[in-house]
Amino acid sequence: MTIETDTSTTYTDPGVDGMVSDWSSDRQTFDLPWGKLMMWIFLLSDTFIFSVFLTGYMNVRLSQTATWPNTSEVFALEIAGTHLPLILIAIMTFVLITSSGTMAMAVNFAYNGDRRKTAILMGATALLGASFVGMQAFEWTKLIGEGVRPWGNPMGSPQFGAAFFMITGFHGLHVTAGVIYLSIVARKVARGDYEKKGYAIVEITGLYWHFVDLVWVFIFAFFYLW
Amino acid sequence: MQNVAIADQIDELHDPQTFITKYIWSQDHKVIAIQYGLTAIFVGLIALALSGLMRLQLGFPDAFDFINPSDYLQFVTMHGMIMVIYLLTALLLGGFGNYLIPLMIGARDMVFPFLNMLSYWFYLVSVIVLLTSFFVPGGPTGAGWTLYPPQAILPGTPGYDWGIILMLVSLAIFIVAFTMGGLNYVTTVLQARTHGMTLMRMPLTIWGIFTATVLGLLAFPALLVSAIMMMLDKTLGTSFFMPALVSLGENLDYSGGSPILFQHLFWFFGHPEVYIVALPAFGMVSDVLATHARKSIFGYRMMVWAIVVIGGLSFFVWAHHMYVSGMDPAFGFFFATTTLIIAVPTAIKVYNWVLTLWKGNIQLTVPMLFAIGFIFTFTHGGLTGLFLGNVTIDLPLSDTYFVVAHFHMVMGVSPIMVLFAAIYHWYPLLTGKMFDERLGKIHFWFTFLGTYAIYLPMHYLGFLGVPRRYFAMGSMDFIPDSAQTLNQSITISALIVGFSQLIFLYNVFVSLRNGKPAGHNPWGATSLEWQTPDVPPRHGNWGPKLPQVYRWAYDYGVPGAKEDFIPQNHPVTDSERTAGEHDA
Amino acid sequence: MSETSGQQHPVGVYLKVWILLFVLSTFSYMVDFFHLEGYLRWTLILIFMFLKAGFIIAIFMHVAWERLALKYVLFVPLSAIAILILLMAIEGDYTFLTRETFFDQ
Repeated sequence: MTIETDTSTTYTDPGVDGMVSDWSSDRQTFDLPWGKLMMWIFLLSDTFIFSVFLTGYMNVRLSQTATWPNTSEVFALEIAGTHLPLILIAIMTFVLITSSGTMAMAVNFAYNGDRRKTAILMGATALLGASFVGMQAFEWTKLIGEGVRPWGNPMGSPQFGAAFFMITGFHGLHVTAGVIYLSIVARKVARGDYEKKGYAIVEITGLYWHFVDLVWVFIFAFFYLW
Repeated sequence: MQNVAIADQIDELHDPQTFITKYIWSQDHKVIAIQYGLTAIFVGLIALALSGLMRLQLGFPDAFDFINPSDYLQFVTMHGMIMVIYLLTALLLGGFGNYLIPLMIGARDMVFPFLNMLSYWFYLVSVIVLLTSFFVPGGPTGAGWTLYPPQAILPGTPGYDWGIILMLVSLAIFIVAFTMGGLNYVTTVLQARTHGMTLMRMPLTIWGIFTATVLGLLAFPALLVSAIMMMLDKTLGTSFFMPALVSLGENLDYSGGSPILFQHLFWFFGHPEVYIVALPAFGMVSDVLATHARKSIFGYRMMVWAIVVIGGLSFFVWAHHMYVSGMDPAFGFFFATTTLIIAVPTAIKVYNWVLTLWKGNIQLTVPMLFAIGFIFTFTHGGLTGLFLGNVTIDLPLSDTYFVVAHFHMVMGVSPIMVLFAAIYHWYPLLTGKMFDERLGKIHFWFTFLGTYAIYLPMHYLGFLGVPRRYFAMGSMDFIPDSAQTLNQSITISALIVGFSQLIFLYNVFVSLRNGKPAGHNPWGATSLEWQTPDVPPRHGNWGPKLPQVYRWAYDYGVPGAKEDFIPQNHPVTDSERTAGEHDA
Repeated sequence: MSETSGQQHPVGVYLKVWILLFVLSTFSYMVDFFHLEGYLRWTLILIFMFLKAGFIIAIFMHVAWERLALKYVLFVPLSAIAILILLMAIEGDYTFLTRETFFDQ
């Protein structure tokens, strides 16, 4: 039964006091565009999806009595006569990080109002993403050639192939969706469709793309390096 | 503050012109809500019919040739799944959430109307896929609504081939639909409230729906992932959930998977799901009770915090569904503790509902009857929950009719009581007409008394040790013959209750034509949805200007007010201002 | 929406973090390359992983500059996942133990 009517906040108070005043404001809780908040909540939900995937993988792996293949060797490549463990995965990691960097720069240029550079950088991000998917396809082909299947493999526990194809497949789908999303937004940026509405959309696309990179960090550590 | 400005501009909304854009491909949250509601009630009626068939078999075994054991298991499975997901979740969030959120917080629509429309159409597709499974070879899955592997995908279980695949696909589509809707609801509540509408001035209905939606967005991922993994087990032959096993004398190709993992993932979704259904019901019943008792809700802040705390805790209690599953026995202690802690905020809510009624000016209208009925059924269901939350008491009661009675009382009948209360309460707003009061009361008494006639004896059957999901009891020594008599009585009551729902349908549809005009705000409610310029509200809800909110939603029985209530959009008067200083 | 309300930060920050991510990725690759084993391997992998994730979230996704209210919304729900991971690890070990006990393979 509060009496005062003007409860808007200016979103400037720091710390916990600021959090309280944000939450107790009228009209809106966060000083964010609707789309950006929605993307954040979606990403939180998606975090749960990937966490549950990885948790499921961890659980079946821990309860395994069959031996787990040595990922370091399974994903090794011979390049120019040298035997390099996990080299393809390392390259894929670098590609994805590079793409995250170009994306971050694209967001920066978008807010500076540089349409051309934004579109070019987003296009570059999409290309890097596409090459990531390409390398993943190569990796899948190589493993399938070596007899790894979702239901079994010559190296040990059948859950290895199952978890590998499921987790990298689901992540690859996210990357593919991201490439499409980036291309669409980049095209619209280049055309100048967002001149009136503002360029928050680039940041929102960026959030999704960085999230895909973030997930890869965890997959890299838990699936390939474990 | 630039972002909110969009909400004020009415020209952002394009008024639909044709019949198709107005009623079929509609982006208006009210039309989408009604589409959701009608679809959900339609599948709900199918699930009700299935429960009638189950009861026929249980009450009169051998009497019905057309029900064989695998049919029975399919009825059980589809009844459970439809009721929990496709009726309750969809109707409470997709239906009432869609209708009430923008109206109660003073928004013109959801923040992303197009996504909202897609949400309904995906939901419809998921329902169609689900119902298709009745017509495929082998019929729908009969694995029980929990779909536990290995049996769900192995020969010997009805619908192990087509049925389970369609079920998993349908669930995945439903989750996509829910995510699109849910993101909308959460963002709308957080970002698109009207002037003066702080979170702590929102009606409890919105708090319940909001928290439940957040739970859904975080819990459905676990179901999606387990559905994907089981789908791979079924179609590609992976062994996530499948250990090495022998089925019908044959060694299967599976090896090394963990069936317990599925149970954990399923219930990591499944327990929050209970509250996805319960929290909106908690919220709506609070508003119905306050309005019809003409009294402010008791302990509003406590009610809000109780909703939030229950929602948070619901992620930490899942394995109390698994005490007999063979999981690590040490988990029992952890989960029994967290489960019993949830009883505290829940009890706070029950006390506050009762205290809201205390010394209220209680109007025994139809919505109020259902709301009071809810307090009874929920208290009974909640108390048996304390039995089942304790490991040692749960062990003998597990998988008996005691469990069936418990969850039907607490998350079957109770939310449905609230749904009826809510439908009767908001019917005048949706349609502009009043329903028939007398028929409504008849409907209430059949439903309420019938509930007890059905579920009280089931507790007793459970104590005797009668197992659930059995097609027929056969001749087991520990089950006395009288149990069969009880089963017959339950069946007869269930059929009566089932058919009495026709009264409700008749009332709803006939009152559309014949009902008396309801006028503005027939219940004298304070919350914003009753203060719209038109009844039923038009596209855009508020006419040219958004309402300004000055107070909370529970100013009922205010001394000195012109009527006995003050709507949220009425400015605070000088006399109140001086009176308020005493409170502060 | 005016342009000033977006997230704008000096380019230098992005470049520094970008380089740092490359370095950290190289480090975690080195952990495997030099066949470090046991607790040392695990500690290093997890440290590098969390550092990388932290930089991506904080700088690239701008969370470092967001309001505390949003940070809480993003991180408090993860406690549910933390409990799930912990309990599933215990459960996995327990399943392994029972398999070793009751089926000799």
